[in-house]
Amino acid sequence: MVTELRLGRAAPRPGRPLGLYPYLSILPTLLVVALISVYPLLFALDLSLHRNVLTEPLAHPFVGLRNFAETFSSYYFLRSLLTTVRFTAMIILGTIAYGIGVSLFLNRPGRLAGTARLAILLPWAIPTVMAAIIWRWIFNGNFGVLNALLAWVGVIPEYITWLGNPHLAPLTLVVTHVWKWGPLAAIMCLATLQVIPRDLYEAAYIDGGGGWSTFRYITLPFLRPTILLLLVLETIAGFVTFDLIYVLTGGGPADATTMLAWFAYAEIFRFLNLGKGAALAFVIGALTLGLALIYVRLLSTEELYSS
Amino acid sequence: MNTAAITHRAAGVVVGIILLAFLVGPILWLISSSFQLDRELFTVPPHIIPHEPTLDNYRYIITRVAPPTYTGETTGRRASGEALSLLPALKNSFIVSTVVMLVNLIFSTLAAYTYARLRFRGRDLTYGFILTSRLIPAISVAIPLFVLMDRLGLLDTRWALILVYVAFTLPFTMWFLMKYFGFFPPEIEEAALIDGCTRFGTLTRILVPMAAPGLAAAAAFAFMGSYSEFLFGLFLTRTMASKTAPVVLVATAINHDVSFALSFAALVLSIIPPMLFALVFRSYITRGFTGVLAR
Repeated sequence: MVTELRLGRAAPRPGRPLGLYPYLSILPTLLVVALISVYPLLFALDLSLHRNVLTEPLAHPFVGLRNFAETFSSYYFLRSLLTTVRFTAMIILGTIAYGIGVSLFLNRPGRLAGTARLAILLPWAIPTVMAAIIWRWIFNGNFGVLNALLAWVGVIPEYITWLGNPHLAPLTLVVTHVWKWGPLAAIMCLATLQVIPRDLYEAAYIDGGGGWSTFRYITLPFLRPTILLLLVLETIAGFVTFDLIYVLTGGGPADATTMLAWFAYAEIFRFLNLGKGAALAFVIGALTLGLALIYVRLLSTEELYSS
Repeated sequence: MNTAAITHRAAGVVVGIILLAFLVGPILWLISSSFQLDRELFTVPPHIIPHEPTLDNYRYIITRVAPPTYTGETTGRRASGEALSLLPALKNSFIVSTVVMLVNLIFSTLAAYTYARLRFRGRDLTYGFILTSRLIPAISVAIPLFVLMDRLGLLDTRWALILVYVAFTLPFTMWFLMKYFGFFPPEIEEAALIDGCTRFGTLTRILVPMAAPGLAAAAAFAFMGSYSEFLFGLFLTRTMASKTAPVVLVATAINHDVSFALSFAALVLSIIPPMLFALVFRSYITRGFTGVLAR
């Protein structure tokens, strides 16, 4: 989706003039997208430049960039930014490692791999908040199955409060995210693996290439574009993570899982500060957009060299 | 077979079993929990297989009449009104997702073909605009969209959700279909064009039938995206006139006064349709990906 903001050359014009057809055909899409993105963005910009606290409904003075300045200088902003970056790094690594590893397994022959190719669709099909509810129950400190299993195996001496521990709570979000989104990464990697010509592997085998060097010099280069695409998708996913926090931790314990989107939500709906919330939401938008554009630049040079 | 090959095979089996357990285990544990009552759920260690399996949770949600086991004494909790409104919420979810899917398919097919094949002024600009809109985080536009829907008189209606979901799913399906259409050789269409077929006619009569797997995959993405959405469901709905399944389920799951058992049965009922959907459409989804990712 974001890999190519620029288009290649279109097919030459056909014999008859196109007239208005191109514009008419893209009009519905353009209108819906404009109504749901441009208007709200302008509105949000207006909100963010005014003082707008719902507890003072009658006074909305223009404050310029003060909401932005207060956001940037606040301790909570820096802290939630840091938490977001850390979380995003973990889900990027987790999801990509899962995608590559699992797809290599799925690409094998045999009944077990065949079953796994079906089963991998299940977590993908389950909506994020619903997956989060399942994992909330698994991580339940008293009656959850994870503690019971770990205690039964003997890994932990006593039950752990996964969701109530500031060091572990972010990890529960990462595990849930990877469970839910890892399968998509694996399906995408598998789709790429399936087009690698078999004779490349045969040639490598004849030349005495081992498992690792085959992976390193044949499989990985083919997977590269898919991995970069996943990098973009996961970065965006990390910066806008909201659903998982809402269900699993509510931003806690002790703000350990308060990430940017949650911080904006709290600013708006708990502290009723629309102006600051809108400013913060703008910052999140700018950050994701900026990162995505950097990646797109990265991807297009990448494609230049690989093709 | 030499020892190395045997070890390799054995390792494969172990990895496969661990993977399957990780993929399916959480779902099985949820299903098992949904057949237990609260008093059984709150035992240590938990019963992986229910000792007293019961259908009462499902019965309660479907009939909305409390079974005898659901007295305050046995559950120790009050049953939630929220979980009991699951069926109307699922109905809302299905209506919204189906309409989004259909509208999305029509709009994105039209636009995708144009971007894949035609050259016109403003092409790159509008294309970039549509794709970039997908990068706007939902939270950034939550308040404005709330106000917009309020002004349009659409607050707490399914139309508000449909409008927002169409806008949020369109860029991806359009991009996906554009890539997909691009793989067909233009010569096929040129023959039709020379025979006097219009661009629209060429699209609907020639390309759409050929691209059926891609369209099915795009439909699946649009449906799943809408069925899963939570944030706008939370902001733009108030009553059961428009509340969707994720909104109702989350309300039951984060409320400690709600019967856990009831909430799990509701969750099982909500995840079955998308899982079936994914399994039925699996070949389209994977073929669609293969088509788009592997050039």
